Amino acid sequence: MRSISRRGDMSLAEPAALPVAASAPPRLHIVTRFTSRFKASLPAYLLLLPSLIFLALFTYGAMGRVLIDALYQRATPKAPLRFVGLDNIAAVLADPAFTGAVVNNLIYAVGTAIPSIGLALLFALALARTNAVTSALRAALFLPVLIPMVAASALFLFIFLPNVGLLDYYIGRLLPVLPNWLGDPDIALYAIMVITIWKNAGYYMLFFLAGLQAVPEDVMEAAHLDGAGPFMRLRYIILPELKPTFLFVIVIATLNAVTQVDHVFVMTKGGPSNATNLVLFYIYQQAVEHYDIGMASAATLLTLAALMALTALSFRTMANREGGR
Amino acid sequence: MLFSRRLMLGLAMAGALAFPALAGEGPTDIELFFPVPVDGKLARDMSTLIKEFNDAHPDIKATAVYTGSYDDTLIKTRASIKAGKPPAAVIMSANFLLDMQIENELTNLDSLIAADGSSKDQFLGQFFPALSGNAVINRSVYGVPFQNSTPLLYINADKAKEAGLDPSKPPQTWLELTDWAKKLTKRDGDKVTQWGIAIPCAYDYCGWMMETLTMSNGGRYYNEEFGGEVYYDTPSMLGALTWWSDLVSKYKVHPPGATPGPAVSTSFISGNAAMMMLSTGSLTYVRENAKFNYKVAFIPRNVRNAVPIGGASLIIPAGVEADKQKAAWTLIKWMTSPEKSAWWSRATGYFAPNMAAYKTPDMVEFLNKNPDAKTAVEQLDVAKPWFATYKTVPVRKNLEDEVMLVLNGKKQPKEALVAAQKAADETLKPYNAETSLKLP
Repeated sequence: MRSISRRGDMSLAEPAALPVAASAPPRLHIVTRFTSRFKASLPAYLLLLPSLIFLALFTYGAMGRVLIDALYQRATPKAPLRFVGLDNIAAVLADPAFTGAVVNNLIYAVGTAIPSIGLALLFALALARTNAVTSALRAALFLPVLIPMVAASALFLFIFLPNVGLLDYYIGRLLPVLPNWLGDPDIALYAIMVITIWKNAGYYMLFFLAGLQAVPEDVMEAAHLDGAGPFMRLRYIILPELKPTFLFVIVIATLNAVTQVDHVFVMTKGGPSNATNLVLFYIYQQAVEHYDIGMASAATLLTLAALMALTALSFRTMANREGGR
Repeated sequence: MLFSRRLMLGLAMAGALAFPALAGEGPTDIELFFPVPVDGKLARDMSTLIKEFNDAHPDIKATAVYTGSYDDTLIKTRASIKAGKPPAAVIMSANFLLDMQIENELTNLDSLIAADGSSKDQFLGQFFPALSGNAVINRSVYGVPFQNSTPLLYINADKAKEAGLDPSKPPQTWLELTDWAKKLTKRDGDKVTQWGIAIPCAYDYCGWMMETLTMSNGGRYYNEEFGGEVYYDTPSMLGALTWWSDLVSKYKVHPPGATPGPAVSTSFISGNAAMMMLSTGSLTYVRENAKFNYKVAFIPRNVRNAVPIGGASLIIPAGVEADKQKAAWTLIKWMTSPEKSAWWSRATGYFAPNMAAYKTPDMVEFLNKNPDAKTAVEQLDVAKPWFATYKTVPVRKNLEDEVMLVLNGKKQPKEALVAAQKAADETLKPYNAETSLKLP
């Protein structure tokens, strides 16, 4: 990690060094300088062109379309589309189903990110050394990542079946009343969260394993010689070294919490009574069930804005911390 | 090596160029979008059916495209209409037709019927009368019934005998059903080890079951003539929801919370629930999986015997070219003919919408072997249309969200129905604004 961050510092320094060479050139030369610079970087642009075209077609084009769609609405089913400005966004914000979905999504994000990251770290620390046993265990813990979310959800549907499912079959004997795991609005969201944690912990473990490889052996040895116990080494060496990994995994976990709704789709369709409705599923409902593209686009824009702000913030914090070292 | 690759590429391009020229003289290519709500076997049955059609009609080449669930099929159909390339025919959930007609997404079939020299009444006369409500909008035909269902009461006959009940005389009223459910519930202290009855409630199924209970309580659920009204806050629905809620919290003979259809059927098959209300579409599944004697019966009444239909119709989306429309119409008529209708019914468990299907020799023999399939057909005499309004799915969800709260003991029935009515009225508002409330 340390070596990577140093390389990062260098690349950050590069653009700063360039303006020094361009010390107050005459105005006339600006155009020729620009063309010559453009000529120099032309191959780079040409190389980037294919991906730029596809990005424009499938990412920025779609985003632009969403932006436009969010500004139009029909007053009645047969009326033509008309420009409504920010009305759609206001309507989405005023919709209790949307605010409910945002609250659910926050609970879901925090409730899945913290346990899955905690478990991932635990697994990584336990399995950091490579031998036959840990390799097998790593593979076992990574297995849920390989199962598609839809298939995993179908599996868990059987596990959660009230009265006859695997869970009730074993745990049910101990409980006085069997809970309806997916049919009770107080429990359903947590049942869904369990699947996400089970599925993602193994994936995050990989990042922590990689992070642990970068913890410098000499520092660990020095600490060992100085009499630092395992806890001290974890607290003062390993965890600080893993900081960039943490930041990265937190960003990924948050993005997953917003973009993974396959299990909601398969298992509950947002129910019962909207108890498991998450923001992305709300957007799907607006677009498909309500057939209201304006509202769906407005909700998409709001989500996109929140996600971009969050990502920018995290990466800036990451860059700051890296720069400070 | 390089040469041969170039040659192949050249040949492929020449072929691609030549193909459109040939297409004009060849058979008319049409696509059929079809959903499979149950399992993979139906997809194979569908390709068998389409292959048979293509062999019998050399001038048409139909391709069956599997499009997922009923809801997915609606999405994909709408997407292809928007892209300007609609499929020539679609098997569409029967209660989506009104919504699509309001959005101008359907082809009016009247002229195709007239071109055959048939009248609308003659054409619709082939099908069970209960089905026309979901096929005819503003006196024009928009859909042709293809696979249909009604809800049934399934009884575990062995458990009934064990409890001293006679399965040959199934409960006919809510009172009798409540009594049966009490006798069939087994308790171990506070814990229930066997439920008397289970009724599914997940989005989609929940609304259908509420319509079933409301109709057998004398109610209507929605305005059959006009897509802008639902009757949620009414005595008939209040009675229906209160009884369902009583089964859960007062008598404790029905599992609490919202339980989806597959969970209910699994519960019944495993003996955990002694009775269930479920679609005729599950009959084949129960027949193949139940390791005990079972019995199917009409949905018991409180006021009258009445049930809604379910299932799907064949439609032609708006914007299909004339020659493809004609080819699609040939396919639709062929698929809904007595023989094919009967064959599909035996393969799937749905009942055949074409009445003449039940007079075909194969079907007579099948019904003699499986008398339980007869009950579904007999119940059609009291069947009514499936709720269909402007924005059917959201309007249905407005009710379902509240029903789920009641089944979880979080709301009283009356309070829930008032909230559901208010939410549904709000959803229906834009449609009313341009119909019932648009005044001179």
